[in-house]
Amino acid sequence: MSIITRSPFLFRINTGSCNGCDVELATTAMIPRYDVERLGCRYTGSPKHADILLVTGPITARSKPYLLEVLDELPNPFVVVAVGTCPTSCGIFRDSYAIEGPLDKYVKVDVNVPGCPPRPQAIIDGVAKALEIWKQKIRIQK
Amino acid sequence: MSANLINFFIFPGGFFAVFLGLILISIERILVARFQGRVGPVFYQNIIDIIKLFNKETLIPKDAKDFIFKFAPLFGFSGMLVLVFFLPIPGVYEGVKGNYDLVILIYFMALPAISHILGGGASSSPYAAISVSRELKLMLVYEFVFIIIGFTLAIYVGNGSGEFSLKKIMDYQVQNGFFLFDWKLWPAFIAFLIFVLATLEVPPFEVAHHNHADIMDGYLIEYSGTPLAMFEITDALKIVVLSIVFQIFFFPSTIGEDIVINMLWFIVKTLFLVVFIALAHASLASFRADQEFKFLIRVPVLLAFTSLILVILSVKGLI
Repeated sequence: MSIITRSPFLFRINTGSCNGCDVELATTAMIPRYDVERLGCRYTGSPKHADILLVTGPITARSKPYLLEVLDELPNPFVVVAVGTCPTSCGIFRDSYAIEGPLDKYVKVDVNVPGCPPRPQAIIDGVAKALEIWKQKIRIQK
Repeated sequence: MSANLINFFIFPGGFFAVFLGLILISIERILVARFQGRVGPVFYQNIIDIIKLFNKETLIPKDAKDFIFKFAPLFGFSGMLVLVFFLPIPGVYEGVKGNYDLVILIYFMALPAISHILGGGASSSPYAAISVSRELKLMLVYEFVFIIIGFTLAIYVGNGSGEFSLKKIMDYQVQNGFFLFDWKLWPAFIAFLIFVLATLEVPPFEVAHHNHADIMDGYLIEYSGTPLAMFEITDALKIVVLSIVFQIFFFPSTIGEDIVINMLWFIVKTLFLVVFIALAHASLASFRADQEFKFLIRVPVLLAFTSLILVILSVKGLI
């Protein structure tokens, strides 16, 4: 059954990010140099199709309900990847009244990709690590 | 009896068509990636996707109409499965040899879109509702184009009276030259290519099934697990069916009598269609809903009607 880990569907949610990490995520998919499709990845439009959730941004008070909704809608087994410093530790927004992060308050984060923004190579490395964790989760579920 | 079962479940319908279609969709993804300068996935990527989706959890929304939501994918899937069994493949498979199979083809071609509409409508998501309303509008136009093309060919082959047997349309072309090289049917050929893009919902006509932009996968938004896999398989079968229809309508050429060689020749012709689809996918931007509707109701409908008028004139002996 390890062959099915070669088909991860990605879903990305922006929880109040400055768009820096989102631009880097877009480059991993769309720019010839960093092609995640060769790992079998595909960006999906709906969290219900996804296997790997990529979160950017420090989780603002406004975006928190949407994040929780997306986490509810992910079918098991799934892997959560925090992209950038913001979801990992809230970064420079840490003690702001409008921030409800970091991400690990709400869900167990499997892979942290630090950086502000992280390089595309680092994001692809994070996705590859997430695939290993996903494989273990499938084994446990069996 | 048992030959029919083999034709339905193994070759050319059933397993063979599903695997061929899934590999064709993967090849389309690879070609799009290559046109964009990327590497792309492996050639069996969509088969892995399907296996994975069958192993995933299936979620059903609280407000969805349970029964229709679960069984809507089966409408399109069964329609396409029956069509692969039903249609003749030039030089490979005889088909059912009905006298009115063109009419049945026109009916069954609409089934995948109807299953999208049923499934999206039952899923209770506002995004799916927007996508369903768009799909309904567009379906009315592109199915209309397909019907005109079919009837043009029927009038041409029947020499004035309609000839709705696909076998006779193929025989006529083998005797009198392929329609692909007949200048009277070139407008219909272009309209048919536009119909292929519109019914497969690849980029210039992607508005009902947009992945990254406004409606987040459209009617598929609430689907997961097995029903989503059924929709993917339906898309795969649809590419095979469209390729067969294209070859029956415009280019039913064969090489000798051997089934294996003819099958390979069929796949080569199908690959040409896939390259065309990938080229459109990689190079064209997407229409807005109103632009797409206006484009479809102007260009392909006019082209198909041009062919119809030329064919009527030639049947009357005026050209």
